Amino acid sequence: MRIRNLWALILIALPLAFMVIFFLIPFLVTVVASFHDADGAWTLANYKKIFADSYYPGIFFTTFKLSLIATVVSFLIGYPIAYYIVNMVKSRGIRRLCYVLVIMPLFTSNIVRSFGWLILLGRQGLVNQTLVALGIIDRPMPILFTETAIVIGLAYILVPFMVLTISSVLQTIDRSLVEASLDLGSPRLSTFFHITLPLSLPGVIAGSLIVFTLAVSAYVVPAIMSGGRVVVMAMPIFDNYTALFDFNFGAALAVGLLVITLILIALYLLFIERGGARRIARQS
Amino acid sequence: MNIVDRLARFMVVLLAWAGLVFLTLPLVIIVATSFTETEFLKFPPVGFTLRWYQQFLADPSYLSSIWTSVSIAGIATFFAVVIGVLVALVISRSELRGRRALNTIFIAPLILPTIVIGAALLQFASAYGFARSFFALVVGHTVIVGPYVLRTVLASLERFDQSLEEASYDLGGNAVSTFFLVTLPIIKPGLVAGALFAFIISWINVELSIFNATAALMPIPVKLFNYVQYAVDPMLAAVSAATIYVAVIAVIVLDLLVGIDRVAVSQK
Repeated sequence: MRIRNLWALILIALPLAFMVIFFLIPFLVTVVASFHDADGAWTLANYKKIFADSYYPGIFFTTFKLSLIATVVSFLIGYPIAYYIVNMVKSRGIRRLCYVLVIMPLFTSNIVRSFGWLILLGRQGLVNQTLVALGIIDRPMPILFTETAIVIGLAYILVPFMVLTISSVLQTIDRSLVEASLDLGSPRLSTFFHITLPLSLPGVIAGSLIVFTLAVSAYVVPAIMSGGRVVVMAMPIFDNYTALFDFNFGAALAVGLLVITLILIALYLLFIERGGARRIARQS
Repeated sequence: MNIVDRLARFMVVLLAWAGLVFLTLPLVIIVATSFTETEFLKFPPVGFTLRWYQQFLADPSYLSSIWTSVSIAGIATFFAVVIGVLVALVISRSELRGRRALNTIFIAPLILPTIVIGAALLQFASAYGFARSFFALVVGHTVIVGPYVLRTVLASLERFDQSLEEASYDLGGNAVSTFFLVTLPIIKPGLVAGALFAFIISWINVELSIFNATAALMPIPVKLFNYVQYAVDPMLAAVSAATIYVAVIAVIVLDLLVGIDRVAVSQK
């Protein structure tokens, strides 16, 4: 079935109008507002304010640091799960069970997932109880409301994304390469480090960038896990819009976060393209 | 296999299942503590009671929040389905120039920070007088859940044998009858899976809703968010557990419908 151009235009008109009005124009309005002061005059003051002292650059640094650690942690947790599901599970039933366990957290809100960690990480929580019982620490240590808590909460949110991205990359790896290596007498472990891991790396990096983007713009998880004691980039955006009602400065912060995200996405696309080129080169 | 390989394989299995337990543990903890008889959160729970569920079901503000969430998610999913099918048809079945750009525009909300989309929507809505309204919430949710439907429908459209559609034409069908009698039944599993994803993404959203919610118009995740910052008690666990049950049902339906392993590969 081919749709003629006239009909295509008619079919697309309303959806496109919807996206332009409720998605593109709001962004434009926000960008314009970020260059306005409260009286509607053009100004760069909102952006100057971001760099006026070390407060906002400090928040920026904290957010990047925590997001980076959370991304690495979610990779370390996610890779074995993905590898296990794709390369080791033989029965479809168990594979489905694994995917159910991976996807179920994706279907619950960030609030609920963080709330679970709130219970686990408290002074009398399961984590502290276990650590004390094992004799690793003498008495319960404060984990909640620290940067560590944010990293745990973020990594928890990110692992399912990591698993899904990595498992889809692992599936595309040519099994005959692995078998050839094994036939030539190379042990499984070195086959993994010399074949599977390097081949999956472009996908891993692409997945990490996506996950990192999610972490940088996270609001709910850091808010709950830190109890407001640690400030990340999304928080002042929210405060300026809903508590301080400084829409213009809020807009500048939102545009800042948007620009950072776009840079990360550009990097992601770059990796995808290069990964794709490499795959074609391999096949030819 | 040598001993090192055996050990390595064992370690991977161990790490994988430890990871899966890590993913499940917080949810299990919430469900378990929601049955505790104590006045505070306790794990392992003491005794067994349904009183926290009764307490939240007797609170009209929770019921109204749940209703708000369900209506937003329902309406947004409906619009997302209409938009997703139309856009997917144009992208996969027409020669229109700029199809790639079209795809980018409709998929973009998936990658851009939801909190920025929420802020922009509030900014826009305030300028045009519909800030903090049901309408603002519905259009915002439609924007962010749209990509989930578009992606699955597009994948289904591109996967199936187009000669079936041609056969319908040869037998005298027109575009409309071909779509409803041939195309739609074939893409239905993908469409339903996408719609289910869209509904759930809307149902659990906080970051967008929080900008346009009010005390009288508060989706359940936003209500939970406001509550959790001031008090944590077993009733909160009961409400959270209820949302987990919804997630469990959704995952099972998805698995029965299209097979969760297939969905997992197409959704990332």
